[in-house]
Amino acid sequence: MTDVRLLVQRFDPFKDEEPRLVEYKVPKREGMTVLDAILYARDYVDHSIALRFSCRQASCGSCGMKINGRPRLACYTQVDELAGEKVVAQPMENFAIIRDLVTDLGSFFEKHAEVVPQLVRSDLQEQEHPTSEYVMKPEELTRVLQFTYCIKCGLCTSSCPTVATDSEFPGPQALAQAYRYTADVRDEGGDGRIAILDTPHGIWRCHFAGSCSYVCPKGVDPALGIQLLKRHVMSGHAPRKAGEGSPTAKAGIPAHGPGSGSSSGG
Amino acid sequence: MAKAAAKNKRGIAGWLNPYHYNAERWAYTFQRVTGVAVLLYVLGHLGDTSFFVGGPTGTGPSASSWAFIGTVFENTFGHTILVLLVLALVFHGVNGIRLVLSEFGLILRKPSAIEFPYKPKALASGQRALIYVGIATAVLSAIWTYLVLFEGMG
Amino acid sequence: MRESRLMLLQYVTALLAVALVSIHLMMQGVILPYDTAISFNNMLSIYRNAVTAVFLEALLLVVLVHGFNGLRIILYELRQTKPWTTWVDVVTVAAVIGTVAYGTRTVILAAFGVVSA
Ligand code: SF4
Ligand code: FES
Repeated sequence: MTDVRLLVQRFDPFKDEEPRLVEYKVPKREGMTVLDAILYARDYVDHSIALRFSCRQASCGSCGMKINGRPRLACYTQVDELAGEKVVAQPMENFAIIRDLVTDLGSFFEKHAEVVPQLVRSDLQEQEHPTSEYVMKPEELTRVLQFTYCIKCGLCTSSCPTVATDSEFPGPQALAQAYRYTADVRDEGGDGRIAILDTPHGIWRCHFAGSCSYVCPKGVDPALGIQLLKRHVMSGHAPRKAGEGSPTAKAGIPAHGPGSGSSSGG
Repeated sequence: MAKAAAKNKRGIAGWLNPYHYNAERWAYTFQRVTGVAVLLYVLGHLGDTSFFVGGPTGTGPSASSWAFIGTVFENTFGHTILVLLVLALVFHGVNGIRLVLSEFGLILRKPSAIEFPYKPKALASGQRALIYVGIATAVLSAIWTYLVLFEGMG
Repeated sequence: MRESRLMLLQYVTALLAVALVSIHLMMQGVILPYDTAISFNNMLSIYRNAVTAVFLEALLLVVLVHGFNGLRIILYELRQTKPWTTWVDVVTVAAVIGTVAYGTRTVILAAFGVVSA
């Protein structure tokens, strides 16, 4: 049985001056993920390694870290798929380090919340007490579907060169979600989001480096959503075609009329 | 406790070092570096062209002043700068067209139902091809400039 | 001003710059041999022809607006304090005005000034 040379960055900001890489030998087994390797080291070598994880299946978004130089999910990265004989696990860049591999995602979630990531209706009464179901056609769902897969792992934001210096920039995750709701036919909050994002540190600080889409483990493709949102802002048009997607309530169509069988989407 | 190490921000290294990332990220870095380089050249060029009218204190076209600035820049040093300028400029221009078209959403693929392994649509082969066109055009233009300036062609 | 207006300016000047700079490069090294192109007499005829003189002025304006607006974007991303942003805005506007003025002076003097040896 071969060993994995696992290097974990250890750092406690309250005690240590500088982060350091500590090497652990981990017996390799087939299909071993980086998370498995780190958990082995934590369980059998050094209990003090701090890391965050939960689902072990790329669903919860808590195990994001920098693995061999690039942001990845530890549970979704197999040791065998990494080039080179070492596995180097470090905390995600551009997020403050709490300890070892655990980063502070507080501002990340705040930025997500700032772009109003929920369906907004201009009629508040209607929003709080919908009079009927809002129907989406399959093609309308397809337009936003891939953006709904975001698990808020932060890999994209960690990879972004603008986030590296601009602390007020919302980052790819938040911007992609702004597009996801603005392009949703049931939503009427686009203008409000654009007022927030068409600002000096808003959407235009994205320069389409595309690293977010490159590292995203869920196929969200944030860079795609962001460019589409830019087009929307520039053209002053909704990202959907005129007349499309009037919610049933507004159009007066019975909620269970033709086409209402399609999913209402996430 | 506000140690830089704890903040863990990449800083300007995030702009300048695209290593580990995609071709578009490299293009981003080059776009930024070439942009600043060309701006610096343009500022210098405002200065050198002003010697056509005698420099900052001149009053009209002056053959002697123009001949003087020629002795400063019409040499290997000045011509090397021009070759590098053309390299930077042409890449910045061609890659810039790609960015303008993309940011207007004109050359992007549409969102769709996805399958894994997923290949990002934002990084589709068309984008990459345009980056390579930018590099190729820049290199060819720079070679042409070299031939014109150093081998007396054109 | 909404940032999208400034970005639209950036994109429009970008496309104009591609066109104008291409013509400029052609004029300086492709249409005429380089040495002829930069000779005093050829330069004078360019500055004294209304069409080419206006072309150079447009080139000047487009490239400097694009360049300094681009620098503004980079500087915005560098730091985010209010005084810094204000400083960047002021310096950007001043730099565009100053450099365009200096370049325009060259064009005007070349077009209308008294020629000396
Ligand atoms: S867009 Fe992708 S990389 Fe970014 S937070 Fe969501 S799932 Fe993670
Ligand atoms: S542990 Fe849940 S995404 Fe990795």
